[in-house]
This record gives sequence, C-alpha cells and structure tokens, in this order.
Amino acid sequence: MFKKADNNALWAIGLSLVLFFIGGIITTVVPPLVDTSWSKPFENHDPAKGVTGKLVPLNEQQKKGRAIYVREGCWYCHTQQIRTLLADTKRYGWRGVDAPISTPDEFVYDDPHMFGTKRTGPDLARVGGKYDTQWHRTHFRNPRDLVKGSIMPAYPWIVNNPEEFNALVAYLQNLGRSKDWRPANDYEK
Amino acid sequence: MQPQFSKAEAANAPTGAIIHDDATAKWFLVSSVAYFFIVGIIAVIIAAKFVWPDLMGTMSWLTYGRLRPLHVNGMLFGWLLAADMGLAYYVIPRLCGVKLWSEKLGLATAALWNVIILGAVVTLLAGLNQGWEYAELPWYLDILVVVAWIMFGINIFMTVANRKYQAMYVTIWYIMGCILWTAFVYLTGNFATLFTTGTNQANLNWMYVHNAVGLIFTPIGLAIAYYFIPRASSTPLHSHKLSMVGFWSLAFVYVWTGAHHMLHGPISQWLQTISIAFSLMLLIPVWAVVYNLFATMKGQWHQLRESVPLKFLMSGVVFYLLTCFQGPMHSLRTVNAIVSKTDWIPGHAHMAVLGCFSFFAIAGTYYAVPRIWNKALHSDSLANWSYWMLMIGGLGFFTTLWLGGFWQGWQWNNVSIPFIDTVIALKPIWIVRFVSGLMMFTGIVLFAYNILATALGNPEEAAV
Repeated sequence: MFKKADNNALWAIGLSLVLFFIGGIITTVVPPLVDTSWSKPFENHDPAKGVTGKLVPLNEQQKKGRAIYVREGCWYCHTQQIRTLLADTKRYGWRGVDAPISTPDEFVYDDPHMFGTKRTGPDLARVGGKYDTQWHRTHFRNPRDLVKGSIMPAYPWIVNNPEEFNALVAYLQNLGRSKDWRPANDYEK
Repeated sequence: MQPQFSKAEAANAPTGAIIHDDATAKWFLVSSVAYFFIVGIIAVIIAAKFVWPDLMGTMSWLTYGRLRPLHVNGMLFGWLLAADMGLAYYVIPRLCGVKLWSEKLGLATAALWNVIILGAVVTLLAGLNQGWEYAELPWYLDILVVVAWIMFGINIFMTVANRKYQAMYVTIWYIMGCILWTAFVYLTGNFATLFTTGTNQANLNWMYVHNAVGLIFTPIGLAIAYYFIPRASSTPLHSHKLSMVGFWSLAFVYVWTGAHHMLHGPISQWLQTISIAFSLMLLIPVWAVVYNLFATMKGQWHQLRESVPLKFLMSGVVFYLLTCFQGPMHSLRTVNAIVSKTDWIPGHAHMAVLGCFSFFAIAGTYYAVPRIWNKALHSDSLANWSYWMLMIGGLGFFTTLWLGGFWQGWQWNNVSIPFIDTVIALKPIWIVRFVSGLMMFTGIVLFAYNILATALGNPEEAAV
C-alpha cells in the first residue's frame, strides 16, 4: 500500500489525505456532537448541584469592551481559564472563596474565544467584581503605580477615552460571573 | 541522470543538461531573508519590553499586544514559510528532472505573498486582530493566503505530474503532504472558526495552531533536510524504508494532538486523553527521521567543520529531536501542570521554529543562493559567525526560558507566593533572554547581509 506511493503521485495524495482525515474528523467534528455542554449555556438554580448562576450574552457596552481586549492583545498575557488544578482554584479565588473550575458551558457566547496560552500576567477568568473602577483607571494609566514590579504596558489612550475605558471595565467586571461564586464578597457590596 | 544547472550556470553546463530558470525561487528567497531581518528587529523590541516595560509604550501601535502578533506572523509567514516555499521551487524541479511548470505563475505567487505580508504589517499594527493565535490576520488577507497557496500547489503538483523520474524521493512526498494538509489545516483555523464559538472554536483554533507547526512547517522543513543533508554532504540517504515510516506515521499521528494545548482546561477529558496518547506516538515519526538523518552522516561528521549548511542542518536535526521530546513529555498531565502557560512554552516554540525549521531553511538558502546566482558565497567567515551567533544565542534563549518556566510553574503551584512575586522573580531570566535575542539577531543580520551581498554582489565573484 505504502510502496505504491513511491511511484504514483495520486496514490500518495489520496493516502496522505485519508490518514489525515481520520484524526482530523474525530478530533474536530465529533467532539461538539458528543459533548453537548460545549454549546449549552450554563444554568443552575439548585445549590445541591453546585455553584448556581446563569450565563447571559454580553450587552452592547460589554461587547465593545471585549473588542478592545481583543484589539490590544490582552489575551497574549492573560488566560481566561480556571484549570482543574488546586493551585488555580486557590490562586484565583477571592477572600477565602476558591474560584470554581471553568467549564465549557460558561464560554458558549465567546467569539473569539479568549482562553489564552500564556500567563505573563494573572488569569482573568474570575476577575469580575474583584477591583473597582477607580482601581482599574489607575492601573491602566500605569500598572506600576499600583503593582510594583509589574511589566504590563500602560494604556493611557484607553483611560483618556471614557467611552472605551468604561466599556473595557464593564467587560472585565462581568468576567467569570455567570457562576455566582462569592455573592457576599464583591467590591460593590 | 541528466546533469542539472541553474540559468546563471548555463554557460558552463554540458549540452543536454537541464537548465533551471529559478526566478521564482530567487524572489521568494530574497524577500524572505529581508523579512527575517525586519521582523528580527521587532523580536528584539518585544524581548526588551519584558525588561523595560515602559519602552516605546506611549504609542498604541508599538505596545507589546500589537507587536507580538506581528513578530509571530512575520517570522512564520514572512520569513519561514516564504523561505521554505522558495526552496521548494528550487528543489522540486531538480528532483523531478524538469523545469518548474510555470515561472510566471511562480512570480505572481511571490508578488501576492509580499502583498499579504505588507498587509499583515499594516493591519496588525492598527489592532485589526481576529483574536486567534497564529490566525490573527483579518479574513480578507486569509483569502489571499488561500489563493497564493493554491497557486503554489498547482505549480508544484504540475511539476511533479510532468516529472521525468518515476520514483519520487521522500522530499517530494513531504512537500506534497505539506501542500495538502496545510490547505485543510489553514481552512479549519481561519474559516471554520468563524462559524463556531467558545470551546468548540478553541478546539479548532488549537488544531490549527498545533498543525501549523506539525503539518506545515514540519513536513516542508523535513523535505528540505532530506534534500540538503545528502546533497551538502554528497552522501546517499541511509534508509528509504525508514523515511517511509517517518512520513506515513506523521500523516496519521499529528492531527490528533491539538487539544493538548488545553490540558486541565475547559475541554472534554476524553479529548485531552486522546491528544496525550497521540502526542506520545509522535516519538515514532520523529525518531525515525532523526535516526535516518544521523545515520546518513555516519562517517561523514568531519564535513561539518568545513560546511556551514551542514552545521545548520545537523544542529537543526538535534533541535528537532529535543523539541519533539519536550512536546510529548509536557503533554503528560503531571508535567503539564507545572510548565503549561509559563515561559517554558516560548522556549519550546522557539527551539522548534527557530532552532530546527529556521536552521533548515537557512542551510538551504546558504546552499542554493550561490548556485542560483552562480557566485561564490560573499563570505564563508561571516557565514560561520552567523551560525555561531544563532547557535549560542539560541541555546541561551531556550535553556533560560526552560529553567525560568519550570521555576515559574513551581511558584504558581505554591499559592502562598503572590503572583507579582513570580513576575519579579523572572526578571533575570528576561534579561538573559534579551541578551540572547541580541545575539540571535546579530546572527540574522550576518546571514541576511551575506545572502544579499552574494545575490547582488559583483559578478567577478563568480564561482568556478
């Protein structure tokens, strides 16, 4: 079978595509058909089944903020996923409450997805509600004013544009809050 | 077999020899070498930003978030893929014993490729970023990439169809495989993602990202190594059978592994396990290739002393072995829990794309350019320096990022250490990375200067 591909280009082409498509189809087309949680938005009202909450689509302002997050490449340094690792749930928890593990049903409306691959800065999957607007304003103007040793770039052109700044903060404050994991501990309360 | 010569060498060629025009190869090689230099500047800047975060930070289009995609896309598509394509235009007609099917189509492809790269510079600096890694370019540029790829594919496949030698050398399979797989991998990563969201989209994105390396740069890079190692050392390939094992196992195994980029993440466990199992199986195609290429050099290693292309080629093979040992190992869940998302990952990625595949492309360029232009290489000594700068700078870069990444991973797993302390701890690592980057950049400058000086230099320097 493989020997024939030495002399016959069409045979070589056909064989390399067949071998490729076996794995290609099983790992790309099949998973969303088998795992319905990939497309079903998170919703749970029963505390006995775990953390409660409901995933709702972003409003217009939050969408605008998300577009800024994509444009500025925030996702090159910040992931958005609490992995199934104890260290992730502890480190990205808040005031003694562990962050719930991220599940596919929390990201159903995400386009483009912002899971990320690199944590030059901390994970942002559960950052919503942790810091208030004034903190974000100071931090975006110059991160080193608040966090000594930070290497995050300053974003004066966002802070100086109230529409963009408010949109971005609206997006950040919503991150990870479809799961209502620490109702008594938000900065607003 | 008929002797084969480039057009510039035609005066000295015996009658009946096949004369190759090589115009397409020339344009691809020269433009890719120029981008290697230009994008190298951006690489140094973003390495510097890790040490001096305020550097050039007052303009939106010079921030890290805008320059990083330009660095990645510029190196992958402006330099590496273009150089690989240029070498394919050089190698395929010679292996087939016929002229390239259409130099006109080839030149049009080269022109279109340059339009795409220049478009990428403008759009990425303006922040027109689609938000997917390796697929940042906006959809209108993606369409041009597809068109250029089809033009490339037609030219190569028609040349192969017209070939004079019935049996196809392993290089031809790899280049054909690359063209076919790339088509589907690229469509998945840049177009299928448009119709999906969330985890489903991420899965397609990682299938593309992983296979951009595994089924685009690996096959075309190995095609180059398989051609130029026996050529540059005048030694026959060790084993045809082993090259078949390597090729056909690559075709089957690689595509399964995309989900290993999301281990422990919000994606199905069974898919993670599949990706781990197949990542381990990658050792089969890798070790088959590496053994074959090492065995080819058996008794010939002394040739490395005199030959810069062979130095690059065999170092590239060593880096291929190392990078493809790392890959399967850090797809294991336990190892992944430490190294994933850390600076280990850029260390690993740079060893694959720079240490292995760019070394192959550099070697091919050093070998082909003097022959295409029929001139002696401008300077053998500079070529040697370019090798050592890239080699030492590269090793400094890879090893410090692995150590730093491992260290960072251990710190993250100790939740009593505040995150910012893990950032501050890495500062020495990033200083070494910047200095190594400067060395690598020096190597790139020497390489680019040497190649351009050879191509544009005096005809008196003509080789005998």
